[in-house]
Amino acid sequence: MTQTNPPPAFQTIPVRTEVHIQRFTLGQRWEHAILFLCTIVLLLTGLPQKYRDASWSQYILSTPERVELVRQIHHIAALVLTALVIYHLGRAILLLARRRLPGNMLISWQDIRDAWKMTKHLLFLSKEKPVYGKYNFEQKVTYWFIFFGVGIMVVTGFVLWFPEMWTRFLPGGIIPAALLAHSTEASVAAVFIVIWHLFHVLIERLNLSMFTGWLNAEDMRTHHLLEYQRLGGDNPDNSDTGDSQ
Amino acid sequence: MLNRHKISLFILGSGIITLAIAFSFALAWLSPGASAAALAQSTPPTPTPQAGSATDTSTGLLSIDDQVCLDCHGTPGLTMTLENGEVLDLTVSAEEHRVSVHGQMGYACVQCHTTVGNYPHPPFQAASLRDASLQLYPACQRCHASQYELASDSVHATALENGNLQAAICTDCHTAHQVRRLNDPETGELTQEARLAIPETCAKCHSAIYEKYLTSVHGSALSEGNADVPTCIDCHGVHNIEDPTTASFRLNSPTMCSKCHTDSELMAKYGLSTNVLSTYVADFHGTTVALFEKQSPDAETNKPVCYDCHGIHDIMRVDDPDHGLQASENLLVRCQRCHPDATANFPTAWLSHYIPDREKYPLVYYVNLFYKILIPALLGGMAVLVALDFSAKVRSRRRKPEVTESDAEVSHD
Repeated sequence: MTQTNPPPAFQTIPVRTEVHIQRFTLGQRWEHAILFLCTIVLLLTGLPQKYRDASWSQYILSTPERVELVRQIHHIAALVLTALVIYHLGRAILLLARRRLPGNMLISWQDIRDAWKMTKHLLFLSKEKPVYGKYNFEQKVTYWFIFFGVGIMVVTGFVLWFPEMWTRFLPGGIIPAALLAHSTEASVAAVFIVIWHLFHVLIERLNLSMFTGWLNAEDMRTHHLLEYQRLGGDNPDNSDTGDSQ
Repeated sequence: MLNRHKISLFILGSGIITLAIAFSFALAWLSPGASAAALAQSTPPTPTPQAGSATDTSTGLLSIDDQVCLDCHGTPGLTMTLENGEVLDLTVSAEEHRVSVHGQMGYACVQCHTTVGNYPHPPFQAASLRDASLQLYPACQRCHASQYELASDSVHATALENGNLQAAICTDCHTAHQVRRLNDPETGELTQEARLAIPETCAKCHSAIYEKYLTSVHGSALSEGNADVPTCIDCHGVHNIEDPTTASFRLNSPTMCSKCHTDSELMAKYGLSTNVLSTYVADFHGTTVALFEKQSPDAETNKPVCYDCHGIHDIMRVDDPDHGLQASENLLVRCQRCHPDATANFPTAWLSHYIPDREKYPLVYYVNLFYKILIPALLGGMAVLVALDFSAKVRSRRRKPEVTESDAEVSHD
């Protein structure tokens, strides 16, 4: 599971090997890409409906035909996202049944201790920095925030889509409540993605492993030391390959 | 190479997306809630007949005294048989003219009947009584040009042009010789009596609607002498009466109703809420209607406006025991017109013009509370952590070059 650069052209230059370790499977990267696209489309078609008082929104939604079109695009993207959620949950359940679900995304006490340690470090209260496994607490927060965010959006979205059906067995008050939740959660999610997710993967350090699938050994050692060690990194017997899993 | 290519593509893409999101948020915050205000902007013209426009008595035509006309036309039995056999009564009651607003102001017969000239009169021919009226009513234009012009834009004038000879002209509402004063000469406002009499005037032709109106919350109050309530003209206008079946009339109608229903002084008198417009605009239906009213006023929309639920001429009190919308089953009937699959719980999906609170609509209230706590707490905490992270990163970047420099010095030594 490694990638090695081609040999240098001149023998006088010392050989520099860059070791890459697989971080995400192709399936996971596809899931992320679809989620990414759906989110963009849903935000672009949903936010004008939410900020209907704004002039840019009124420009987009100026005629009944346009409103209908925007809603249809929103519904199609919503169906794709729903299919993705079903796939993701279905796969998790399948892996769980086979006892092969990696538990490394679950939030543990260690994450809370890590977060506390990191906060203390950032506030100059401690020199010590936490070391992380495959996913640090920030990445777990990202996953679970989006997990529940998407959950809220999908459930409330279907309530809003089929109000007559849901009120057959639920009180009518769920419709305005779902509208409020859907609309507020959308902006919460958008703000979250911008200030938290994009900061961590683009600004703090450029981490495109979710697109490429690979993370180099250097980043792995710096940011995911425990996982790096678990994979046998820095082991003299194994140092040139960084063999994983 | 491949990686670098991917990276640059990704940075470009995410840059655009971030910009787009930031831009949309900025726009949203820059232009705060305006739809309710937008609805209140374009109000239909209010009936304010011009006072004093008819006080100009110094016309040079005052050459023939009324008595000259009345010598013949004051005699009962003076008639003329028209082409279709109808008999036009040519007798004018001197008393009727004297008490009319024109008589009071001293206007003479010949100021309206300008073509009759000397005796014998020039020949007058009319196919029917209606034809005679249609020939004579343009006389009003000489003094009341602005009202005449407004009326020529009305649904009545259009009907007349399209061949409906029964469509109302000036004299159908105001009469010819018994024209009453309708406005207060001091304020120019309609007098109370004039307001009370309006529906009867329209009822001359629109009697079925008048009957409906009398049973409504507005009409029944009017017939008890309450001039606060809207009469026909408050919704339909006076002289330039619009076609009420158009898409633009429909989209504009919430503005029409809210003229009174957002007037806090007037509503306080009857214990009514003035939030009806803002709560309507805040919900699915009103949002869309307010949007189209502003952006495409001629758009056909199936979104309900006030009168789709409350009724048009038969508007009932919401607590009416038989038809009031406060009773869920009455509202359900209205919902089912557009939502045929709606069942008993469905009407409560509409907040009934209430602002959700703990007692009414607790679910909405608590969802709102949840987000009020979640947003500042969670996102605020995250923002703080990100800010700390960022400052740490900036510091470490500044420090790094120094470290390498000192390392280099050490190695030189």
